[in-house]
Amino acid sequence: MRNFEYFEPKTFAEASALLTRYGGEAELLGGGTDLIIGMKDRTLTPGYVISLEHVPGIEGITYDDCDGLWVGAMTKMRAIERSSIVRERYTALAEGAEEVGSIQIRNLATLGGNIAHGSPAADTAAALLVLDAQVKIAGGEVERSVPIADFYLGPGQTVLRTGEILTGFSMPARSANSGSQYLKHKIRQVMDLAFVGVATSVSLSNGTVTDTKIGLAAVAPKPIRATDAEAIITGSSLSGEVLRQAAGAAAGQSSPISDLRCTAEHRREIVAALTKETATTAVARAQV
Amino acid sequence: MSEHAVVGKRLPRVDALEKVTGAAKYGADINFPGMLHARIFRSTEVHAKIVGIDTSEAEKLPGVHAIITQDDIPTGRAVFAKDKVLYYGEALGAVAATDPDIAEEAADLVKVEYEPLTVVQDVMESIKPDSPNLLNDKTKDGPRRRVITRQLKKLSKVTDEDNSAEIDRLNTELEGLDDEIYYNVAGETHESAGDAEKGFAESDIVVEGTYTIPRVHQVYMEPHVSVAHAEPSGKLTVWASTQGHFAIRSGIAGVLGIPLSDINVVGVTMGGGFGGRFNIQATHVPAVILSQKTGRPVKAQLTREEEFLDGRPGAGCIIKLKTGAMNDGTLVARKALAFWDCGSVAGGPIANTIRIRGVYKFPHLQMDAYAVHTNKSGTTSYRAPGAPQAIFAGESQLDEIADIIGMDPVDLRMKNMREEGDQVPAGAIEPIVGYKETLQAAADAVDWWNRKKEPNQGWGVAVGDWTNGCGPGAVYVSVHEDGSIRLFHGSMDITGTDTAMAQIAAEVLTVPYDQVSITRGDTNSAPYNTGSGGSVVTFTMGNTAKLAAEDARQRLLELASQRLNTDIANVELKDGKVSLTNGDAPKSLSLGELAAYSLSTTGGPIVGKGSLSGKLSAPAVAVQIAKVEVNPETGTTKVLKTVASQDVGFAINPIAVEGQIEGGVVQGYAWSMMEEMQYDEKGNVNPGFVDYRVPTSADIPRIESVIVEVPAPNGPYGAKGVGEPSLTPTLATFANAVTDATGVRINDLPIKPEKIVNALKSNGNGSR
Ligand SMILES: Cc1cc2nc3c(=O)[nH]c(=O)nc-3n(C[C@H](O)[C@H](O)[C@H](O)COP(=O)(O)OP(=O)(O)OC[C@H]3O[C@@H](n4cnc5c(N)ncnc54)[C@H](O)[C@@H]3O)c2cc1C
Repeated sequence: MRNFEYFEPKTFAEASALLTRYGGEAELLGGGTDLIIGMKDRTLTPGYVISLEHVPGIEGITYDDCDGLWVGAMTKMRAIERSSIVRERYTALAEGAEEVGSIQIRNLATLGGNIAHGSPAADTAAALLVLDAQVKIAGGEVERSVPIADFYLGPGQTVLRTGEILTGFSMPARSANSGSQYLKHKIRQVMDLAFVGVATSVSLSNGTVTDTKIGLAAVAPKPIRATDAEAIITGSSLSGEVLRQAAGAAAGQSSPISDLRCTAEHRREIVAALTKETATTAVARAQV
Repeated sequence: MSEHAVVGKRLPRVDALEKVTGAAKYGADINFPGMLHARIFRSTEVHAKIVGIDTSEAEKLPGVHAIITQDDIPTGRAVFAKDKVLYYGEALGAVAATDPDIAEEAADLVKVEYEPLTVVQDVMESIKPDSPNLLNDKTKDGPRRRVITRQLKKLSKVTDEDNSAEIDRLNTELEGLDDEIYYNVAGETHESAGDAEKGFAESDIVVEGTYTIPRVHQVYMEPHVSVAHAEPSGKLTVWASTQGHFAIRSGIAGVLGIPLSDINVVGVTMGGGFGGRFNIQATHVPAVILSQKTGRPVKAQLTREEEFLDGRPGAGCIIKLKTGAMNDGTLVARKALAFWDCGSVAGGPIANTIRIRGVYKFPHLQMDAYAVHTNKSGTTSYRAPGAPQAIFAGESQLDEIADIIGMDPVDLRMKNMREEGDQVPAGAIEPIVGYKETLQAAADAVDWWNRKKEPNQGWGVAVGDWTNGCGPGAVYVSVHEDGSIRLFHGSMDITGTDTAMAQIAAEVLTVPYDQVSITRGDTNSAPYNTGSGGSVVTFTMGNTAKLAAEDARQRLLELASQRLNTDIANVELKDGKVSLTNGDAPKSLSLGELAAYSLSTTGGPIVGKGSLSGKLSAPAVAVQIAKVEVNPETGTTKVLKTVASQDVGFAINPIAVEGQIEGGVVQGYAWSMMEEMQYDEKGNVNPGFVDYRVPTSADIPRIESVIVEVPAPNGPYGAKGVGEPSLTPTLATFANAVTDATGVRINDLPIKPEKIVNALKSNGNGSR
């Protein structure tokens, strides 16, 4: 690891000022579970590390029926998976958080870090996509809100500009007749990165699916929505034939690569399999 | 087991407290004032000529104290690459600096100029004539060529008959066998019994298959580390994390060309080895030479990435196996042709390809095995070297036969198992063994013949075998005035072997277990000891501890008879006291009293000695049964149940034995389902735990161990080597279970989900 200077700002303004001062030479520190690894193998060599640990107002989970869910960027994965409101209404997000690393990792890892890191395989990304999350960003005095679908630019690339801090995520309120699921394809039960991640969210009305969102992770340069598959499911009552068609459509919309983990073809097959399974579960959950 | 008071009991390890409190000192915990940190610089090419190494920029970096290359190795023995590199990550030299970050920075500043050469990483490519010549090996003949060449030699000696027709025929056949001229072969072994070809001709069915087992790393938890201190006098001390500090001492003496007596190796607490921690050049030699150069203590420590790039993993192999059997399940013949990928260093467990014979009565057997060089790091032992691979092939094929003839896989194995007095194919006569008992025990534990399964579930069984070694070892036992017993020896404890020794000494001397303590000496203080590998330790050191304790007991009895003025026949050691047995008024002396008394005798303090080597060991067997469930859409496998039975001879400490069994199962599960060192033209591409997957406790539910005890005639209390057998059947167990669940057989490990999905697709019963 290269030497660096370390800061623990106590206010948002202070953090923002430091970030402005050191610009591209600075890295924000959330839980450090991505950053420190990169610094240790020297793929990241920041001269300045600014911890967000003591910055108030960017950690926690709040919900109301009108504004929906807000999750602060510094909220730990462990807190998200254990939150009853997230578990009940935003199930895919709880399941995404729960898939990250181990309990030890999840006690450090933050939701903001998972997304800001820009990995197309991030375990919470597909869930945030199907839960319609808005990414809250602040830089200096300026605040903006970006739909999660527009947040990613490519592998490791996001719309975050130098000097900006991700402050949190907001998601619209969800009715009781909605359901969601996130599934991750992996070889090891825990502590494995996603070969493929699929999240599906649905709303039901009188046995018909009225709204479908399908998010895919690790099968394109960034997390994407499988809109073709969504269109097939929406308006249906989710028959076997619909599921088969949707699975094929989702696989078709993915553009995975072959790498040392598996081939692109296998990833597409898994997209299809997990689309079927998550859609089925999401509908079942919406019915409860 | 009631005849014993301490052995056979579930007692906590002697080192439990220091391990759980973190007090145990591992190599990385050894630090000295002024100590420097080493970093090895490594090849960034897979196969290339070294044109030049320029260390000038690195030398200029503040904090750098010394840089060494192969030119600094006094004997010229290979430590660093000099003229050419044979794999990515091969060590070229090392830097010593004031802190690890500077050392790392400096290592990056070393400039190396290469002239790239053609790369070969696949053994089957490497043996071909157009592959690059890696280490100037002579070509070797394949199995058929060997036979013909030998026949021709024989015929040429016959002068009283005309053999010219036969000679011509053989010569013609030989000419057609160019593909049996193997290049880049580092070593070969051949064994046979009976006549395999004849056996196949007589068989009702013959099954053939090619089995591929990748190179796997021992992934001991602690990477290699050493601290070396060279004093101006020339004396060297090395704190080494190793399976055998005496082996490290002789290794260093050889490379440096200095007397053994100048080197003291302190074996420190070690984080696992599995056969991979006898390596002297990974860290020990670089640390020593850097310390000699700088006069300061030097610590050398590998990162996990370096462990993968330049460790000495277990060799991968390709085994072509053929088995012949009768319709009633009688095994007739088996033949193997194996190619082991030994990378850049001659080695590979080729001889253990013989494990394809398993525990069965094959009248006909043939085995031809070759170690083949490739552009990868060298390999070394990994727990029962060679056996898990050979047994994977053998036990997979048994299940195929069982399936074809419609026989239960356990019945098939039981029918063919050897018993005491049977001929071991290409081996000796079988001594007393517990093969059948152990198979029966595992089958009973799962109620095998009434086993049930839901769709996509399957059961697998496999049998593996292994025999421990017995190396030289010695123990001293002393008895102190407070009655405490101390053991002293030079054996490295990896698995709980110190605990076993302490239990044995307590048993012999009839004292409570916690009255015994045990100390490991460095190479300057302890008597010579073999390294801790090959399942030797409890067998060897248990015996020496027993001998030493018995020696001490003899002295205690002598002292007591002197003190009590009676014949030695009239005293006995019981419950930690020596008492009179001949009726008179009860009189006894405690061990403490006798120890105190001994100090004023001409015989002096009580010390018992035990020393031995090469005792004949007994074969051990491990049987495992697993139940799995496979998701046919995703190819993901879930383990539902695992039972592991093992003949351990006698379980000196059942907890420790179960730990060994469970560890073997977990490792074997990983070999079969996930572990694999992957290579592309740039070298090893998964040098870390992100993509080299070792399982966690979430992957394997509770393992049920069943201990079987068929005593080893020469083992301490009948104990056999326990460490290695448990890994031998596991690969096949899980492979067989997956086949039972899916109907497809994957002979190319690891059985990753993608392979299952693809096999199901080509089998026509994919579920899409
Ligand atoms: C052993 C292990 C297992 C893992 N397993 C998984 C897994 O299964 N699934 C998975 O998705 N990930 C996994 N990860 C990766 C990592 O844990 C997650 O991505 C985690 O959520 C990162 O969060 P963090 O708070 O630790 O980020 P950090 O490492 O602190 O930061 C990551 C990046 O985001 C930036 N950043 C952090 N917070 C902010 C902010 N508020 N605003 C702007 N930029 C910010 C940092 O500057 C840095 O560049 C694993 C990591 C480890 C070490």
